[in-house]
Amino acid sequence: MLELEDVHKSFGKLHVLRGIDMSVSRGDVVCVIGPSGAGKSTLLRCINLLEPPERGRIVLEGQEITRARTTELNFVRRRIGMVFQQFNLFPHKTALQNVTIAQRTVLDRPKDEAIAKGKALLERVGLADKMDEYPERLSGGQQQRVAIARALAMDPHVMLFDEVTSALDPELVREVLDAMRELASEGMTMVVVTHEMKFAGEVADRVIFLDEGVVAEEGTPEQIFEEPREQRTRQFLDAVLEH
Amino acid sequence: MSIFFHQYFDLDIIRHNFSFVLEGFGQTLLLSVVSAALAMSWGLVLALMRQSPGRPMLPVRALAISYIDVMRGIPLLLVILLLSGSVPFLDFLPEKLRAPDFFGKPDIFWFGVAAIALTYGAYYAEVYRAGLEGVPYGQTEAARSLGMSHMQAMRHVIVPQAIRRVIPPMLNDFIALMKDTSLVQVIGFVEVVRAGREVQAETFNSSALTLGALMFVIFTVPLARLVDRLIARQQAQTRRAAA
Repeated sequence: MLELEDVHKSFGKLHVLRGIDMSVSRGDVVCVIGPSGAGKSTLLRCINLLEPPERGRIVLEGQEITRARTTELNFVRRRIGMVFQQFNLFPHKTALQNVTIAQRTVLDRPKDEAIAKGKALLERVGLADKMDEYPERLSGGQQQRVAIARALAMDPHVMLFDEVTSALDPELVREVLDAMRELASEGMTMVVVTHEMKFAGEVADRVIFLDEGVVAEEGTPEQIFEEPREQRTRQFLDAVLEH
Repeated sequence: MSIFFHQYFDLDIIRHNFSFVLEGFGQTLLLSVVSAALAMSWGLVLALMRQSPGRPMLPVRALAISYIDVMRGIPLLLVILLLSGSVPFLDFLPEKLRAPDFFGKPDIFWFGVAAIALTYGAYYAEVYRAGLEGVPYGQTEAARSLGMSHMQAMRHVIVPQAIRRVIPPMLNDFIALMKDTSLVQVIGFVEVVRAGREVQAETFNSSALTLGALMFVIFTVPLARLVDRLIARQQAQTRRAAA
């Protein structure tokens, strides 16, 4: 349902993505791993066109979206939910308002419908008792779960996760990963940039190793983690798994 | 020394002209509040024009930037004279603009309001810009990733957060604006300074002007303290958020 062909992206002289090819089928969970600076975040930002790619094609559900115009752009982004490393909750809105605002403004959902949906989603991520709290009163793990609910409220067809546990204290990582695990088991299509190798090993259908702006290796978690073909994949895994 | 007190603090003159000067100060306040309300709205429009994204909006940005640069470079007094001296003769304008008399106020009042709003709008635009740019970029990304258009993201996410940040500097600018309203007297509008001057011309004594100065101070000093408190409160919030 999501296809990338030869996607390139540079920032000034910095050539971050150097021809990415990947394809994600409906219901797939694809984990993207790789050293910092490999272009993992940029890849996600290109997929939902927060950073328009310079070359190549992105096809979502059979439609090319790479050259989407402004109105189509907003349509594309509704189909693709995104969760960020720094949560990026709206600090002037409560947890529930964070989850309802885009339903109201973007989807024009009636107020009570948006609220009902928002409450159901917050319950689902275990935050039934935090609906009226402002983000600054929530822990990092709770904020990140609100952010997941906020993205889900738009009924996305694909969810992108950008190192969503990297800014969390270790004891808060699990509650966020659990919410993602549940989502994966319900059949959500997910592209997950992560450093949680154990999570990737458990949940991913496929693992992509990104290095220097290209897909260096791709395979099932068993294959990537147990018998990587590429030298640099091995080096990277040795470095992150040894401690 | 007694001649000093007589010149500046003659209680008889102050008592005798108190209501006249107070009425002038009332006009000063009215002029300030109406001008500031318009300047703040106009400033927000300018700031949003300046922030409009993409190549197609380049002329809009250029227009806003030129306007802001020019208006910040011209003395307010000059703008007052330009408007009041010639707008009445511009026969292509509707009668209502050439001889404005809204709410029973004379045309010199409205020319003053227009000059102040046009000039201070440029200053306020810069204050808003700082406020808008101070909202972390992740907020824009989060809003856009949910499918909000640029204007929706501005309206529901960025501007509400920016407004909180800009209230203290806006109040500071309001104090400056309030003092500058005295320039409107050159086209014949009787505000507090003009009232004091008329008494001075009659009595060869400055006590009525001293009274006007006192009225300014009674109004602006608490405002300055309020600004300090708001800033302190915001800093505390920022520290909390960072902790």
